[in-house]
Amino acid sequence: MPTNVSSIVKKELKSYFNSPIAYVVVSAFLLFTSIWLFYLQSFFANNTASLRIYFAVIPTVFIILLPALTMRSWAEEKKLGTIELLMTLPYREEQLVIGKFLSTFVLLLIMIILTLPIPIMLSALGNFDWGQIAGEYLGVLLIGAAGIAIGLFVSSIATNQISAFVVTLLILLLLTLINAVNSIASIPLWMTSVFNYLSLGYHFESFRKGLIDTRDLIYYVLITGLFLYINVKVLIFRKWM
Amino acid sequence: MIVASDLGKLYGSIEAVKGISFNIEKGEIVGLLGPNGAGKTTIMKILTCYMFPSYGDASVNDYNIFTDPLKVKQSIGYLPENAPLYPDLNVIEYLEFMADARGLTGASRKERLEYVLDACSIEDVAYRGIGKLSKGYRQRTGLAQAIIHDPEILILDEPTTGLDPNQIIEIRELIKKLGKEKTVILSTHILQEVEATCGRVLILNEGKIIARGTTEDIGREMKGEVLLDLTLKGTNLENADKSLVSLSGVKKILNSKKVEDTKRNFHLSLTPQANAEEEIFDWAVSNGYKITAMIPEKFSLEDIFIKLTHEGGENAN
Repeated sequence: MPTNVSSIVKKELKSYFNSPIAYVVVSAFLLFTSIWLFYLQSFFANNTASLRIYFAVIPTVFIILLPALTMRSWAEEKKLGTIELLMTLPYREEQLVIGKFLSTFVLLLIMIILTLPIPIMLSALGNFDWGQIAGEYLGVLLIGAAGIAIGLFVSSIATNQISAFVVTLLILLLLTLINAVNSIASIPLWMTSVFNYLSLGYHFESFRKGLIDTRDLIYYVLITGLFLYINVKVLIFRKWM
Repeated sequence: MIVASDLGKLYGSIEAVKGISFNIEKGEIVGLLGPNGAGKTTIMKILTCYMFPSYGDASVNDYNIFTDPLKVKQSIGYLPENAPLYPDLNVIEYLEFMADARGLTGASRKERLEYVLDACSIEDVAYRGIGKLSKGYRQRTGLAQAIIHDPEILILDEPTTGLDPNQIIEIRELIKKLGKEKTVILSTHILQEVEATCGRVLILNEGKIIARGTTEDIGREMKGEVLLDLTLKGTNLENADKSLVSLSGVKKILNSKKVEDTKRNFHLSLTPQANAEEEIFDWAVSNGYKITAMIPEKFSLEDIFIKLTHEGGENAN
């Protein structure tokens, strides 16, 4: 009978858009990435019909942006006490976690869709490889999904949203840039590949080139699934506390 | 309807609930009464499947809290302590979410939304942001979500805190009305609340049930004391004390004072089994005293509560 995930998604999205957070994050994202592309990277001076430099910066922007989107999710419910309402509604823990995840992902999707005018406007100027741009967009959504799952998990164990923000930011920073260690220090080869494998940024490389590598796809799906799974376990564990 | 057996909860090394058992029948309004920290809220959190007990077992509406939590949650409408709400939503958005979460759709969803807005008198603030609501409206919005799906069981944690006296009366009336068809558990540390709304009461202290039964039951089991406020008119009343205490129905004269020249007031403790009142009447007549007032005093829950929490122990079991 009752309770589907959509009711949670609906409520979460209402909360997002009734508070300034969604507007602030989305405008900050659009503003910064545009400044990056047109001003800092002087897109027009480069004179190439490619958005690789545009997409290259997105994982880095996500390091700050995704924690801002996910910090409130569970931490705020705990602070307000509304988690008691949520957990006593006839939902399974999985439904709650998926609902929270999907709502944040929808917000991310809206944000990404709002970037579409950039390739569309620029398409008149040159011959863009649309397959590549599609691959780049897919990569952005996957890395976003993984980041959201991590952020939600952190929020579920955090005591307040500020600590959720900081911890998620640190984890994303580490995971995104860990492969950079390879180029600045001499480390054993096996470690290099471990760092590469763990890195959220490294797996984005192939998408950035417009390639869809199954291994990278699986990596993001695994990370997303893993953190959502632990999130469910955290909720169940809370009941025994 | 609700069965708890040997329910216990440890928070770290602190045992908040210590092996509590009770049974609540369909249609009862039961009050959990006790000072803050007695374990009332913890019991409610266990029954609503918000948390598992550390030991013991419970079932709600014949569904076990461990094996059938979804069915338990469906049967219950729950108002947690302080009525937590989402400040980013307005009242109607919030209630719509709760209706959706409860699986209400279409006409019945609309009808229930209208019903709870009316029943809890919150139509006026339906489109106001919850963050801007006064405590009274917040509490009523919390109650509205608890009854939106017309649950068989209502669990209300301190439902009248923060309300003004008129609102308290309104909410109590509403609870009583709902209690005609539903099973209600409410917790409170206010004694009048239990006296005003509940048919039965479980008195808790330090994680244990120290007394249970109807208000009258508990009074009767209080080591059998009945108090009588007696005023007599006549002469030589100063000597009445001695002969009064010699009556078999009078246990003790607690207080005796002269009110007017010809009137004296006595505060008596009676032995309940004897027909003390009749005996006193006959005694007064035979001594030529006129009884101007004879008022039996019931123990208020307040007296009981203070007595029990000071003595401790499970008196009424």
